[in-house]
Amino acid sequence: MAQAAPLAPEIEIAYEMPEQATLLSDAWRRIRRNRLALVGLAIIVVLFITALISIVWTPYPTWLQAVGPTYQPPSGAHPLGLDQAGRDILSRIMGGALITIEVGIGSAIIVSLIGIPLGLIAGFYRGTVDTVISFVINIWYGIPDLLVALILVFVLSDALHLIPRGVVVIIIAFSLTRWMDVARLVRGQSLALREREFVEAARMAGARDFALLLRHIFPNALGPIIVQATFAIPAAVLFEAFLSFLGLGLPSPTPSWGAMAADGYHGMDFAPHIVLAPTIALSLTLMAFNWLGDGLRDAFDPRMRR
Amino acid sequence: MRGTLLYIGQRLILIAITTVLVSSIVFLLLHQIPGNAFLNETRQSEATLRAELHHYGLDLPLPQQYVNWVSGVLHGDLGESLVNRGVHITPLLLRETSVSATVGFFALIVTIGLGLILGVVAALRQNTWVDYVASSAAVVGYSVPAFVVAIFGLLLFGHYLYVWTGGTFFYSPGWGTPEQIPVPALALGLPYASYVARLTRASMLETIRTDYVRTAWAKGLRPRIVVIRHALRNALIPVVTILGPLITGIITGSLVIENIFGIPGLGKEFVTSILARDYNIVIGVFTFYAALVGLANLAVDVIYPILDPRIRY
Repeated sequence: MAQAAPLAPEIEIAYEMPEQATLLSDAWRRIRRNRLALVGLAIIVVLFITALISIVWTPYPTWLQAVGPTYQPPSGAHPLGLDQAGRDILSRIMGGALITIEVGIGSAIIVSLIGIPLGLIAGFYRGTVDTVISFVINIWYGIPDLLVALILVFVLSDALHLIPRGVVVIIIAFSLTRWMDVARLVRGQSLALREREFVEAARMAGARDFALLLRHIFPNALGPIIVQATFAIPAAVLFEAFLSFLGLGLPSPTPSWGAMAADGYHGMDFAPHIVLAPTIALSLTLMAFNWLGDGLRDAFDPRMRR
Repeated sequence: MRGTLLYIGQRLILIAITTVLVSSIVFLLLHQIPGNAFLNETRQSEATLRAELHHYGLDLPLPQQYVNWVSGVLHGDLGESLVNRGVHITPLLLRETSVSATVGFFALIVTIGLGLILGVVAALRQNTWVDYVASSAAVVGYSVPAFVVAIFGLLLFGHYLYVWTGGTFFYSPGWGTPEQIPVPALALGLPYASYVARLTRASMLETIRTDYVRTAWAKGLRPRIVVIRHALRNALIPVVTILGPLITGIITGSLVIENIFGIPGLGKEFVTSILARDYNIVIGVFTFYAALVGLANLAVDVIYPILDPRIRY
């Protein structure tokens, strides 16, 4: 058959060095096959672009009231309609995307900054250090996190004289109550990796503890850390939305999706569009991050794949 | 039996210690905030303010206040409301706990019932449209937060159902009649139900391929017997292990649901008190939540060996 001819090139390929697969390129190759994760990623990209655009431009200022009749349903001039104060909902959804990104990414970073060092140290040094850190983690798991976070938002904004409350307070309150997942995961990774041959070899070569942790153990635990951090994003976004919905989060003119849902809550019977727009945007965002997280978990950990 | 009782006793002591410990943190945090509930009262002379502070023991040094508070908690007395003078917190919160527990109980039924049914059906009809519909519903369900489910529920049951049926069916949010239980319970239980469904499906798929299930089929047993008595009993074990986090989630989730549906339970009290700066109640509700979470986890641990006889203490 005609296929017999390219025998030589095949042999040539066999002698080539295998393509270097970095952690990210390898994960990307796997995630491309996961349709749900790709949909999630697409939604997240749209969210990011919307947030970036909202920095420089929104159809109307997010705080501007009475750009038209209050409670006006969606129309050509205002694709998502106007809210109870006559503010353009599309503009506010766009502004809300930026807040969502800030809260989500900010929390993921802070949670990692708290959890990674604690977990690395606990797993690496074992013994008393591990006992103490693990004890703190277990106690922390026993407390109702949502309540503590609520109290923290309150205490912090008073203590830091941040009235009106800002995004920063919400990020800190969230991170202080939800760092345990990352810490516990990194501890397990660190505990397992420290016994591996390459760490042993590096130690024989005279690497100090700090170098071992930073150069050898941390990079090899990066996959699961990224997965865990991804799951922290929707949790933080939900926390902010819920706080603002109750009126305990970001103050009134801020276009937080949770606050917008609260705005529309009382006019739900005759103007459901006010409450639908932010809740749908919020649900889509949470779904997208959860799907991407699931996809990343399968991509980084081939054993987990079904 | 004696061992189990001893175990429960030890755990109860541990729960009491943890509860007092974590509540202490909240106590100390809240006493750092400048200002108190009395600052909102405008017509107030220096003397009445001093009298009020004295009445609540707020004029004592902080360590003394703390000691008084701890000894109060250990005697089951959480003090008096700062805003509504004369209202004692412990009986108030006990009453509210029974409301929250009712909603939580029905939510748990929704979670476990719906989750198990969806999971088992999806596993038995693997890779058919039934499976795809159930699995997609689960994937969507665990991402949509309880408070969004609650809003949609209110919109659907409180408004559209009323319009469509011409007023025959009507749900008004609130508390007091049995008809007002299902909608909040559904909203609270649904996100966790999808979690249970995913877990049940995965473990059921594993179990129905085992040898003893195949043997059961080969013996010619009726499908219902094979599925329920042979497969499901073992497939349930992973589900049982998440019961603890599940109940914790439902307890804290009540915070969200009660505020949306206007249910006078612990969660609503918590938010109302924070906004009113009634710190005594805030600390009290927190203490109750911490104890509830501990007790719920203890209950799950006690039930474990009954559901899975391989586990012993």
